[in-house]
Amino acid sequence: MTAVTAVGAYTPRFRISAEAFEAAWGHFQAAGISEKAVPAADEDALTMGYEAAIRALEAAELEGTDVDWLAFATSTPPVAEGDLTARLGAMLAVSESATRHVFTGSTRAGTRAIWAGVDAIDANASGATALVVTADAPVGHPDGELDHAAGAGAAALVLEPDGPAHIADRAEFARPYPGTRFRNTGDDETQGLGVTQYDRRAFTQTIGGAVAELEREPDPEAAVIQAPDGKLPYRAAGAAGVDTDDIQAAATVHDLGDLGAASVPVSLAAALAAGTGSILAVSYGSGAGADAFALETAGDVPARIDLEGEDTLSYAEYLRQRGVVTTGPPSGGGAYVSVPSWQRSIPQRYRLEAGRCPDCGALSFPPTGACDGCGTLDAAESVELAGTGTVEAVTTISQGGAPPEFASHQSRSGDYAAAIVALDAAADDRDRDGDENRNGNGNGNETAGANTNGDTATPRTVSVPAMGTDAAPDAFAVGDRVETTIRRIYTQEGVTRYGFKIRPQTP
Amino acid sequence: MRDAYLVGAGQSAYGAFPEESYRSLFRTAFDAAVDSVPDEFDADEIDEAFIGTLGVGGRQLGLSGPAVTEHVGLDGVPCTRVENACAASGFAVRQAVQAVKSGMADVALAGGFEVMTDTSSDATKYWLGVSGETEWERLSGTTFSGVYAQMASAHMNEYGTTREQLSRVAVKNHANGAKNPHAQLGFECTLADAQSAPVVADPLNLYHCCPTSDGAACALIVGEDVVDDYTDDPIRVAGVGAGSDSVGLFQRDTYTGVPASRRAAETAYEMADIDPADLDFAEVHDCFAIAELLAYEDLGFCEPGDAGDLIESGATELGGDLPVNTSGGLKSKGHPIGATGAGQVVEAFKQLSGKAGDRQVETPTRGLTHNVGGSGGAAVVHVFEKQQEVSAR
Repeated sequence: MTAVTAVGAYTPRFRISAEAFEAAWGHFQAAGISEKAVPAADEDALTMGYEAAIRALEAAELEGTDVDWLAFATSTPPVAEGDLTARLGAMLAVSESATRHVFTGSTRAGTRAIWAGVDAIDANASGATALVVTADAPVGHPDGELDHAAGAGAAALVLEPDGPAHIADRAEFARPYPGTRFRNTGDDETQGLGVTQYDRRAFTQTIGGAVAELEREPDPEAAVIQAPDGKLPYRAAGAAGVDTDDIQAAATVHDLGDLGAASVPVSLAAALAAGTGSILAVSYGSGAGADAFALETAGDVPARIDLEGEDTLSYAEYLRQRGVVTTGPPSGGGAYVSVPSWQRSIPQRYRLEAGRCPDCGALSFPPTGACDGCGTLDAAESVELAGTGTVEAVTTISQGGAPPEFASHQSRSGDYAAAIVALDAAADDRDRDGDENRNGNGNGNETAGANTNGDTATPRTVSVPAMGTDAAPDAFAVGDRVETTIRRIYTQEGVTRYGFKIRPQTP
Repeated sequence: MRDAYLVGAGQSAYGAFPEESYRSLFRTAFDAAVDSVPDEFDADEIDEAFIGTLGVGGRQLGLSGPAVTEHVGLDGVPCTRVENACAASGFAVRQAVQAVKSGMADVALAGGFEVMTDTSSDATKYWLGVSGETEWERLSGTTFSGVYAQMASAHMNEYGTTREQLSRVAVKNHANGAKNPHAQLGFECTLADAQSAPVVADPLNLYHCCPTSDGAACALIVGEDVVDDYTDDPIRVAGVGAGSDSVGLFQRDTYTGVPASRRAAETAYEMADIDPADLDFAEVHDCFAIAELLAYEDLGFCEPGDAGDLIESGATELGGDLPVNTSGGLKSKGHPIGATGAGQVVEAFKQLSGKAGDRQVETPTRGLTHNVGGSGGAAVVHVFEKQQEVSAR
């Protein structure tokens, strides 16, 4: 029997309130939602999925290399075609020969991925590890119920043959309901015909159908029901055979909004982290179909759940962050980084692979060319950096100071920080003996706090340029501690390039 | 090796000239340089030409040197385009000096040009960024304003340099540029103006940044064997120095100075056998206000960390101990990338010839030019020295 052995969940830092919508529109069309999460300009389903995945792996005390089976599920993939699991896997350092799947096309995609993960573990019970990554940020027309409800968030679940939260039962159900929520090929916005009673029937009937297929009648402590808004899940209480209190116990929609394919996974992760004993989880995908899972827990599920918002947006700021009222990138010109050259730098952009000089021990980043310490042309040894560091120099880029590639990012996100950061060597690498106490990239730079406080012999930092994210630009000052994460860097020729950015270090 | 001499130099006005082409601007600079030679100078005597340009906007990227020398009638003259970003024509001057000193040429032309104002602001920014480290530095969201702002942040953090001191660079250089008919932004500004301008990349505001410019400049370098044919008051190229470094700031040894400038200055001073105290004026690369302050330290005008005090003291103003950027500098005179280094030599020539008008330094003997590529990936320094009595050398 397959079990959930760890969970991680993430939401962006931005929130917008129902009142902000009411002030802008005169009304707020999403019932039962008081506040919702909003993705930052440099976030999408892939980056949010990464955030959830690293949290789940951290909770599980696993490395990406431990993952045998990886799934990514979203109804809003950044590309309609193109395998995102290759990039997600590389961000997480998952083996290149691991099994990968993408699930999309429905808000049910998240539970389809869990379903497939259970199949994979059940079929190969010899200690395999599956990582299910779900993330979503639905988009509708700004003057529509769907967009008003649209939130953003991600959850990742580690599945293994045995563990604290067994998936005791599962069932699915589908019946054609065309014209419920849909997005036609080529469209950016999801829509629905809005035939209220018809939509409700599709929702309750498929959910009821899936639950009815379970072997045992559920009697859960908490019921996680797909939440396109804050009211609909409660209408399915009868069909699912649960009390509305059970639904309320696990609901996240009221504070996060519609999380699409991540709706059930995020609430499920939160319920497991809260130590809920038995859980019924039922997703719904328009069209329509539903998946039902019954989970029985015996012991704590390791979890890292970050669902708190930090910054509240006005409606105008919301439109900017979402790119609704900004123009796209300007046409090209001089400086240009080709996609093939970007691809070659992915180990650095995703996993901070630096070089250590075989002769003098200095770190270099990127690990190419002559050693920054001693000038040798001998190939550097590949080492991964820790993902933390200290700001050495920083500026806030205002209007007019951004390269054209970042003009649309800036108009969406506002001013941003751009820094040079002394990134720390990984702990195991730091402990090694070296020839000389020296830092990489030759930076005997006197301004760097991290460069002077060491007592080990091995070079401990290497300087890299990085953009700030996840905080206002004035949150970055010389000497501040930061950590890296992965975000959208920029999009050119239709190809979004992802890579590391820095944010204030979390305690 | 024989000595090289600066016998003429001239430039076009710097600014935005939609009616001019890069060739017509170069023609103006070339004619001005030829006309500035005290005695008769025939363009046919030019043996070799070195032309600096970056190619902003993408015009004539290949063979951009011959494209302008041919336009001024130098058909057949060996011509090489020199590219070192904003230091392109500073290095073109260096090449001309090398050609003359080596004996390969008796008369060499060094020039530069750039047209930057005929493209959209977005397209211009694409081009301005091309000399930054493209794959990492630029893609952290910076152009040069951001990179120099990072240097400013480090300098402020390390030495307590202030925003007001940065603004004083703008005030001084605008005061000088207002006296230069070739200056693009030839107006004075107050300290209040220079402190209240819109922020571009904190701590740098608009008054801490040079403009984009169209313009061209030329200098004529000759060997000691022939210098008497052109002038009775020769100006010797007493010192030449250059250096290079990592293109990206993050790969350098320090963020509070430009090592390539230090190396260039040390080499030039050694060749000229002088100390910074022997200088009467200097044209330094003030693409951003912090760059001028860094130059004070890198060129030895003051100790590291003391540049803020030096600008505040007034020593670098016209009439001070060491006037810096009497032309208005890049800030006020303008910065047509490929022309800038040769344009600094034009100012040195005018000062040492006593033809600098309202901004004339009193009887100068020695002046320095300092030209930086990018944020310090390349730098070149020249020391020019007026020969009081040729026979005394």
